[in-house]
Amino acid sequence: MSSPPSEAILARRSSLDAWYEAYGHGASLREDMWQAVTLNERVPRGRFISLVDCSWRRRFGVKGPNAEAWLATHDFAIPSPANSWRVTDGVMVGRLASSEFLIECLDGQPARVTAAATQLAARPSGVFAVMRQDLVVQLSGEALSQLLRQICSVDFATLRAGPSAANGPLVLTSMMGVGVVAVPMARDADPALTLWIEPSFAHYFWTTLIIVAAELGGGVRLDQPIRV
Amino acid sequence: MRRLPAIDGEWIDRNKAIEFSFEGRRIDARQGDTITSALAANGIGTVGRSFKYHRRRGVLSCADHDVNAMMQVSITGRSLPNVRADVTEVGSGWRVTAVNTSGGLARDRLAVLNRLSRFLPVGFYYKAFHGKKLFPRWEKMFRALTGLGVVDLQASRRSTPKRYEFCDVLVIGAGPSGLAAARAAAESGASVLMVDENRQPGGSGHYSRAGTAESAAATTALVAVARAHPRVRLLTDACAVGYYADHWVPVATPTEIVKVRARATVLAQGAYEQPAVFRGNDLPGVMLASGAQRLLYRYAVAPAQRVAVLAANAEGYAAALDGLACGIKIVALLDLRAEPGARSRSYGAELRKRGIPVICNVTPVEATAGTGGTLQRFAFTSESGPHTLEIDGLWMSVGFAPASAFLHQAGGSVRYEPTLEQFVPDVLPPGVFACGKIVGAYTFNERIESGRYAGHEAAAHVGFGPRFERPRFTVSSECPSHAYPIFRHPQGKEFVDFDEDLQIRDVENACLEGFDSSELLKRFSTMGMGPSQGKHSNLNALRILARLRGETLSQHALTTARPMYHPVLMSHLAGRGFVPERRTPVDHEHEKIGAIWMPAGNWRRPEYYARAGLTREEAIAEEVRAVRHGVGLIDVGTLGKVEAHGPRAGEFLDRVYTGRFSNLNVGMTRYGLMLDESGVVIDDGVIARLGAETFYFTTTTGNSATLFREFGRLATWWGIPVGLVNLTGQFAAFNLAGPHARTVLGALTDIDLSNESFPYLAVREGHVAGASCRLMRVGFVGELGYEIHAPAEVAVDLWRALQRAGASHGIRAFGVEAQRLLRLEKGHLIVGQDTDGVTNALELDAPWAIKMDKPFFIGQRSLAALGRQPRRQQLVGFRLPAETAVRLRESHLVIHRDAIAGRVTSVANSPTLGHVIGLALVDPAVVETGALSIRIEHEVQISAEIATVPFYDPDGARQRVEAGP
Repeated sequence: MSSPPSEAILARRSSLDAWYEAYGHGASLREDMWQAVTLNERVPRGRFISLVDCSWRRRFGVKGPNAEAWLATHDFAIPSPANSWRVTDGVMVGRLASSEFLIECLDGQPARVTAAATQLAARPSGVFAVMRQDLVVQLSGEALSQLLRQICSVDFATLRAGPSAANGPLVLTSMMGVGVVAVPMARDADPALTLWIEPSFAHYFWTTLIIVAAELGGGVRLDQPIRV
Repeated sequence: MRRLPAIDGEWIDRNKAIEFSFEGRRIDARQGDTITSALAANGIGTVGRSFKYHRRRGVLSCADHDVNAMMQVSITGRSLPNVRADVTEVGSGWRVTAVNTSGGLARDRLAVLNRLSRFLPVGFYYKAFHGKKLFPRWEKMFRALTGLGVVDLQASRRSTPKRYEFCDVLVIGAGPSGLAAARAAAESGASVLMVDENRQPGGSGHYSRAGTAESAAATTALVAVARAHPRVRLLTDACAVGYYADHWVPVATPTEIVKVRARATVLAQGAYEQPAVFRGNDLPGVMLASGAQRLLYRYAVAPAQRVAVLAANAEGYAAALDGLACGIKIVALLDLRAEPGARSRSYGAELRKRGIPVICNVTPVEATAGTGGTLQRFAFTSESGPHTLEIDGLWMSVGFAPASAFLHQAGGSVRYEPTLEQFVPDVLPPGVFACGKIVGAYTFNERIESGRYAGHEAAAHVGFGPRFERPRFTVSSECPSHAYPIFRHPQGKEFVDFDEDLQIRDVENACLEGFDSSELLKRFSTMGMGPSQGKHSNLNALRILARLRGETLSQHALTTARPMYHPVLMSHLAGRGFVPERRTPVDHEHEKIGAIWMPAGNWRRPEYYARAGLTREEAIAEEVRAVRHGVGLIDVGTLGKVEAHGPRAGEFLDRVYTGRFSNLNVGMTRYGLMLDESGVVIDDGVIARLGAETFYFTTTTGNSATLFREFGRLATWWGIPVGLVNLTGQFAAFNLAGPHARTVLGALTDIDLSNESFPYLAVREGHVAGASCRLMRVGFVGELGYEIHAPAEVAVDLWRALQRAGASHGIRAFGVEAQRLLRLEKGHLIVGQDTDGVTNALELDAPWAIKMDKPFFIGQRSLAALGRQPRRQQLVGFRLPAETAVRLRESHLVIHRDAIAGRVTSVANSPTLGHVIGLALVDPAVVETGALSIRIEHEVQISAEIATVPFYDPDGARQRVEAGP
C-alpha cells in the first residue's frame, strides 16, 4: 500500500521530540541527530551523568513459540539463557523471556534488522511481532552508581559488564515507577547501562532522570553512544 | 560551666564556639555539642517537662532512648517540632524551647497537674469521657492540653531523596561487637555495610572505660581497621528503624532514608540501660550511668558535682571509676545486691582504695528535689539502717534491656535467661545473626568474641568462608541486670514509663482491672506507646506484671515493637515522589494549540482547547459543532491497545468478553464488554480481527495496564496458549470524525474508503501519509469516523498531515469533554462514569452485547442468577429544557417517594439538540413514572422527562453514512 505522492514520507521522531524542541536541539530524530550536545558545559568531570538518546536505532521485538527458530533462520545469534543479551555483527539480540526477544541494530547499518522486521508483517505462524518504539537511553558517568541507587532497587554493581563485552545479563525491572529493560554495559572501563522504556513514559523518565542526576551535585552531559 | 578539661576521644571541637538560645537564655557551646550536652555544660538541669503531669525532667540517657529532652527548634525561619536534643548537634543561632509547656519550662502552668495525679489514674479517659454529650468538650480540652511539639504549617515542601544500598552483610551497630563482626565478615570476603545511629562509631567501647584507657584504645583500633578495610563501608548518624522481609532494612540518616538490601544481617545494637524504679527517680539529676558516661567522654561535661552511683552490676562500678577519672566527686557506690559479682568486687576494691564507700544491700526510698526542682537528697536503707545523701547526681546502673526489636520483626524469638536476667535470642531467622549485649556478652572480650562469631557466620551464610563451631557465651563475671530493681513507695511517684508518666500503681491497677498480660497492659495503660517506644519501660513493667501474677518472666513475652522502631521525619518517609505521567506522542501538538489538560488514569489528556474570547463551555460547544457539521480530530492514544495471537485467540476473547469473537470476520470489529465474576461491568472496548489468528483490541484508558496483566493471568489460568502483546504506548491513535472525515482522510491514503469497501465497523491496514496504519470505522461520537492507529514515532507528522488535509474543511481538534458530550448525544455509556462498582451488565439494557448462549465468559454464571431476580437499577436517558435555570450535575440524586432512587451519571447541555440531556442509574420503579425527580443544590428538586436513547441520530444513519455528504 503506497501513499499519495503529495505527502512526503514521515520523519521518525523520538519520544523526546518535544524536549529537544524546547531545549533548541532540533525537532527531528533522524539518524544524524544524535551528535553530542553538552547540556551543562561547566559540569565537573567528577560527578556527572552522561546520557545518550539512542531511540533512533532500528529495532523490533518478536515473541511466540516459534520466535527463536524464526530468528535463527534470519541468522540472528540468540543468547541461550533468558534475561541475557548478545551482540553479533552489530546487532544486539536481547532475550527478555524464554520466547520473547528484542532485536536492535547498533552499528548504523540497519538493513538486516529492517528486512527481518518487514517479513513479520506476513504474520508467520507462532511468531508475533512486537512493536518497539522505545525511548532508549544509555547512562554512564562517575555518578552512575549514585543515580541508580536513587531510582532502582536492583544492585547493578553485581551485574557489571566488561569493557568489550558482547554478551551479558539483561534485567527487567522498574525505575522511578516505570518498567524498563536494562542492560549493564561498559563505557571504556566504566560501568554503563542501556535502558529501553515504553515511549509514553519518555518525557517523565527523561526529565525526572535529569532532575535526580542534577541533585547529585554534578550535572548531565549528552554523549556519544557506547561502542560494543 | 561544667566543661571538663580535654578528654581523649571527645566529640567536640573546643576551638569553634557556638551560641544559641534555650528558653530565651543565651547558651555557649562548642561545635559537636548536642543541645543536651550544651545545656548540661551550662549547668542547666531541667531540660523538659513530662507529658502528663508536667514534672521537671533532666538528662536521662543522653542517647535519645528517652524523651525527656524534646525541643522545638527555630532555624532561619523554619520551626521544627520534637527535635531530639540528646543526639541533635546544635547549630549557631538556633532558638530552642522545650515542647509541651504552658508559660515556659521554668514556670509551666500545667505543672499543677502533678498535684492532681491521684485523680488521673491509669485509663481514666476510658471511663470518664466517653459520654456523647460532653465528649466534644473533653476532646477540645485534651487536644489543647496534650501533644508535644508544634507543627509549622507554613513549612515549605522538601523533596527528600531515598536511595538503595546493597551489601552481603549488614551490621547494625558499630560498637565493639559490631566492629568485630564487620571485620570478621569482611575478612571472609563479604561486602559489609555497617550502620550506627551515633555520629561516631565505637558505641560503649568509647565511653564505658572503668577509669582506664584500654577499652577506648582497643575500640579506636577496631574502628581504624573497619575504616581501612576495602570491603567495609561505615554509615554513621544512620539509624536502622525497621526490619522487613528478606533483610530489607530502612536506615534513617539526617537527610534521607537509605533502603538497605542485605543478604545477611548481624544485629549488634547493644542494650538499653534501664532505670531503677523508686520514688523521685525522674528528678533532674537522677540519670542512667551510661548517660553520665556519654556526657563525660563524648562532650567532656560533668553532669553533677557530688554523685552517688546506684548499681546492681559491674557496669555501675565502672561508671563510678569513670566519674573519678574525670574528677567528679563520687560520694558512695550503693549496690542493690547483697553480694556483688567478681567484676564488681574487683572494681569495688579500687573504689575503696580511693576512699569511696561501697554499700551493699541498698534499698532506695526516695529522691527529693531542692528549691530549684533538681535532685538534692537521696534516701535509702541498708543493713546499717536509713541513710540520706546530699547529692546533685545519682547515676543508675541496675540492668539492661537488649535492643532485640529487629529480631522480633525478622520473625525470630527470644527466651528469658535467668542467669542474665534478660531476654536472649532463642530462634534466629535464617540469615539473621546477633552478637554483643543482645546475646548476653557484656565484657569487652566477650563482645569481641561474639561479634567475630556472628560476622563469620553471616559471611558463611552468603557463601564466604567456613562456618564456625558455635561458641558458648558464659557469664564469666556476673549478671548484668537486677531481677527486680523496683521499689514501691506509699506516696507513689515511682516512674516506670517516663514518656507517659506511668507509675507502679498504674501497672497494679491495670492488672487488677484484668489487663494482666503485656499486650493488654500496653494498650490499657499506654505503657511503651510514647515516643521512646518502651526502650526504658517495657522490661520493668513486665517485671512488675510477672510479680503481680506470681509468675516468672519466662512465662511472659515482650510486645513487638513494629517498624518504624525509632521516630523518622515525615519528610523522610514521604521521600521523593515518583509519580509517572504518561504522554501521547502528540502531547506537544496539543500544547501548541491551547490544550487545557486533565488527568486520565496516569495520562494527561486535553480536556478542551482554549480559544480566545470563548468560555470553556463555548469552546467545547464549538468543538462539538465541528464534529457534527465538519470534521474533528481527537487524540485517543491513551486507549489500551493489545494484540492477541494464536489459533485459540478467538476462544480466549470469547471467554474474556460477553460478546462472541471467534466468529468475527477478518477485517471487522465488534464492541466488547468485560465483566468481573459477579457480573459487574469493568471495561469495554473494540475488538478487531486482523487475521485468522490475530486480533487487535482496545481497553479503556484507566484500565489498560491492569487489564493487560489480567489477560496474561487469565490465559495462564485457562491454559489457552494465546500470545499477548501490549501496544498501548507503541501506537498513537486518533479519531477523525465528522461528515467530512472521509474526504480529509482520502487525501492522505489510497485505501478505498467507500462504504462498500470499508463499511461501518470494518478495520483496514494500509498507509496514511506514508505511515503504516490500522484504521477502524467506529461510531463512538455518532458521526462518520475513522480511528487511525500508527506507530508512535511517526505520530507527530501524521497529526500534522491530518490537520493540513482538513484545514479547508475547518478541521478542529476536540478534547475529552467534547467527546463525552458527543457520545452522550448518542447515548453511549462510559464504563466507570455511567457504571459504578456494582453495576451489572443486565442493568445497561444492552442485550445485543451479551451472548448468554456461549459456553463461558467471565461473569456469565452471575448474570444468569441475576437475570432471575428483579433488576436493582437501570440506566436511562432523560432530558430537560435548555432554559433550565439550575445547573444539573453528575451524582445529583434521583428521589422517588422521598427515598433515594438513583443518581445522575452523565449530563450536559447539548448544543446539537438545544436542550439538556443525561443518563441516570435509577430504580426500575422510577422508569414507569416517565419522569425523574432530581434533587439539586439547596434542597431544590426538578423534574426531568425520561427519554429514549440515542438522543441523536437514533438509527445511526450518520455514522453509517446512509445519508451524508
